[in-house]
Amino acid sequence: MELDYKKLGLKCGLEIHQQLDTNKLFCNCPSVLRSDEPDFIVKRKLHVVAGESGEIDVAVKHEMEKDRGFIYQGYDTICLVELDEEPPHLINQEALKIALQISILLNSKIFPLTQIMRKVVIDGSNTSGFQRTILIARDGFVETSFGRVGIDTICLEEDAARIVSREKNNVVYRLDRLGIPLVEIATAPDIKTPEQAKEVALHIGNILRSCKVKRGIGTIRQDVNLSIKKGERIEIKGFQDIRNVERAIKIEIERQKKLVEEGKSVGEVRNVLSDGTTEFLRPLPGAARMYPETDLPLLKISRQITDEVRKNLPQLRGDVQKELIKEGLNEDMIRLLFKQNKLEEFREFVKVLNNPKLIAKIILVWPREISKREKISLEKVESVLEDNLNEILEKVSKKKISENEIKEILTKLVKGEDLKKAVSIKKENLNVLEERIIKLIKEKPGLGINAYMGLIMREFSGKVNGKEVRDIIERNLR
Amino acid sequence: MIPTTARPGDFVEVHLTRQIYVGTLLESSEKGIVLLKLESGYNIGLQKKDVLEIKVLKKYSEKKTEVDMKKEGKKPNIAMIITGGTIAARLNPRKGGVDWLDTPESLFKFYPEIFEKVNVLKVEIPFMKASEDMDFKDWQKIAKTAEKLLNDENIKGIIITHGTDFLHYTSAALSFFLKDLNKPVVLTYSQRSIDRASSDADLNLQCSALVAISDIAEVMLVGHATSNDDFCYAMPGTKVRKLHTSKRDAFKVVNSKPFAKIFPDRIDKVSEYNVRNKNKVKLDSAFEEKVALVKIYPGQEPEILDYYLKKKYKGIVLEMAGLGHIPTKRARLGWTKKLKEVQDKGLIVCATAQTIFGRLDPLVYSNGRELLETGIIYLEDMLSETALVKLGWILGHKEWAKDKNKVKELMLKNFSRELNDRLE
Repeated sequence: MELDYKKLGLKCGLEIHQQLDTNKLFCNCPSVLRSDEPDFIVKRKLHVVAGESGEIDVAVKHEMEKDRGFIYQGYDTICLVELDEEPPHLINQEALKIALQISILLNSKIFPLTQIMRKVVIDGSNTSGFQRTILIARDGFVETSFGRVGIDTICLEEDAARIVSREKNNVVYRLDRLGIPLVEIATAPDIKTPEQAKEVALHIGNILRSCKVKRGIGTIRQDVNLSIKKGERIEIKGFQDIRNVERAIKIEIERQKKLVEEGKSVGEVRNVLSDGTTEFLRPLPGAARMYPETDLPLLKISRQITDEVRKNLPQLRGDVQKELIKEGLNEDMIRLLFKQNKLEEFREFVKVLNNPKLIAKIILVWPREISKREKISLEKVESVLEDNLNEILEKVSKKKISENEIKEILTKLVKGEDLKKAVSIKKENLNVLEERIIKLIKEKPGLGINAYMGLIMREFSGKVNGKEVRDIIERNLR
Repeated sequence: MIPTTARPGDFVEVHLTRQIYVGTLLESSEKGIVLLKLESGYNIGLQKKDVLEIKVLKKYSEKKTEVDMKKEGKKPNIAMIITGGTIAARLNPRKGGVDWLDTPESLFKFYPEIFEKVNVLKVEIPFMKASEDMDFKDWQKIAKTAEKLLNDENIKGIIITHGTDFLHYTSAALSFFLKDLNKPVVLTYSQRSIDRASSDADLNLQCSALVAISDIAEVMLVGHATSNDDFCYAMPGTKVRKLHTSKRDAFKVVNSKPFAKIFPDRIDKVSEYNVRNKNKVKLDSAFEEKVALVKIYPGQEPEILDYYLKKKYKGIVLEMAGLGHIPTKRARLGWTKKLKEVQDKGLIVCATAQTIFGRLDPLVYSNGRELLETGIIYLEDMLSETALVKLGWILGHKEWAKDKNKVKELMLKNFSRELNDRLE
């Protein structure tokens, strides 16, 4: 049965968390997730202290468990900051700029002066016992086919450590994710139907993907806030797939309807399960869990930075798509380009060699082809490509090698030849070389092989293969 | 801006030209800025010049909470001396300043765990300072307070909370100042502020409480043994040094061993210590202020020593390279002649190791022998910081200070484990 959401007084807002594709927010560690064995472990405990008002936040109280220990798995990509053994460094400027980009694209007003806060979290997912978070912007909006939806706040925060396992008295966390910059976008409770919720989520997702954000599973997470008339606010956490949002909202509304009828609606945080139903997670946190990060000064976001960001805004995906079609790429290629997140790379290479179709093929299709044919891992092929393609394209654009030879050269490189060698034969037509050698022998008869070698090598300054030259000289001296 | 009656802590409305913010007014440490805690808990700053008006919606009223201290007759009694530092400071964001934990009640609120093991019978506060602001006069005050508490038969031991930066100087000073020690004197600290759930103060204090009622009658520093929150070391006060700026296990024993491993519920003995006894502790805190610690670096001019003479310094500890070397006659800027000269004029010159770890030995190389001949007192494996404190203490005794041979004899006599003749 379709519900009448208007009559129910549905108020719904989304909270979207997106990881940024930069180093960590308060230290210079790379934001890489690890699946290998940890290099070390650290054992810690957290103990709760009353906040400035003398009270312990309800959500914090809920997380308290006496004598629970935390085991943290560390790697060589983790530093003392994640271990809570060194004060935070100054905020990552690249991450801040991306957060500002997102704020501007969501029509939000940026706070020129804001304070880095500590949000108390004592489930162990933060070694410090708090998550650092900063309010960056307010009062933006997105347009949907059902009407405008406000963006209440945009925050920049640290991601938490990943839970690995729960043992009897211990919880095991991996520190790789801790500190990865995360932008949190909270919409106003303007969403009136589950369908609209889905549209808003997709729309914001598009804007996020136009910026330098991480891609793939776990890099974006959605929470839903909802209430119906006479009911309390419910927060549903943990959507990794946008398609579940609509279904879970519908199921939760049914649950709320019953609770309101029974007078039992309670504000709480719930976790979404794979079937779209939800389970109780913890009570709703209050303002008592926030206090300032005293190790860092107030964050000033100058007009100058905001203007700079405004000037260099990324294009939205729709606009980019139109441009790419103009450049001659077909829809499949464009889809691959977005899927493999290689737009930036593509742009860079087109600057070197203005043949968009060829570049797209080289970076999107060939690595997989070569990997398959030569039975070499895709990562290896991609990394060879990354290291050498720029130089190869330069040579093509200077007509030192032809476009037809690129694939063969790449294959040789992947198989372990160095660039000079792989390209050398192609650089000079062997006939031209042989002609020059014959001429040289006539001009300066009676020299030794090495002397001719030296002269030729100098003349062609490394563009030729030494062995090749020697063969030709020997042949012509006979 | 219209003059306002709003005070930090008040719930207010801040009017700007095109925006009104509602929240709690906070004290701002930066001039020209209004700091506001929004209802979401986030703080934002507003330029005072942009603010039209601040309206008070609700005045701040302090909530007093009663604390039940769980005092029981059965638990052993200890005393605490609180001197300041991170472990006793709590930022009050409303005031923008620091609140000290300086009553048993406020301590209890933060560290209920120590009260499970002991009764904190007395809390003494000779002063509240960051350790980097302390000097010998502060060591004397702490020692005096400690003497009184140690000679109180109702008290089993004492815990002294202290900032970390110069903590190892205080621990060395107390080791020399408290003669005939009868009970545990525990110095402890925190490297992570106590407002955070991850503060190291929790384990450090729990372990300190256990040590304070143990049979270890030594001046010692109790703190994290590793980065883990599982156990602490009880470290000799003269053989410990801060060796990291920020880690929990910043303090390490140098050229010796800890007395014991301290778990929250047990003590594992590691090395020998003096045991609890019925002595009456005597305060012996005479101190000569005119002592200096100088680290020698490449190319340093020996004439720097003239400055110390001119300023009427009585003793100086030179922190030397390697086994005890500084430039000699063969170097461009040799120190040999100047060292002879200042010692002839009465300056006591001692040597310690820049390497921190290991023992000096001036006999191995010819330049070491050349320096030794000038009369320098080579302090074996003594830490530089401990050496400075000891030199000040020895020279503070006029009857000793007048005789250089006596000073040398005492500097090389073991008073409180500052010298260790077997390094492992």
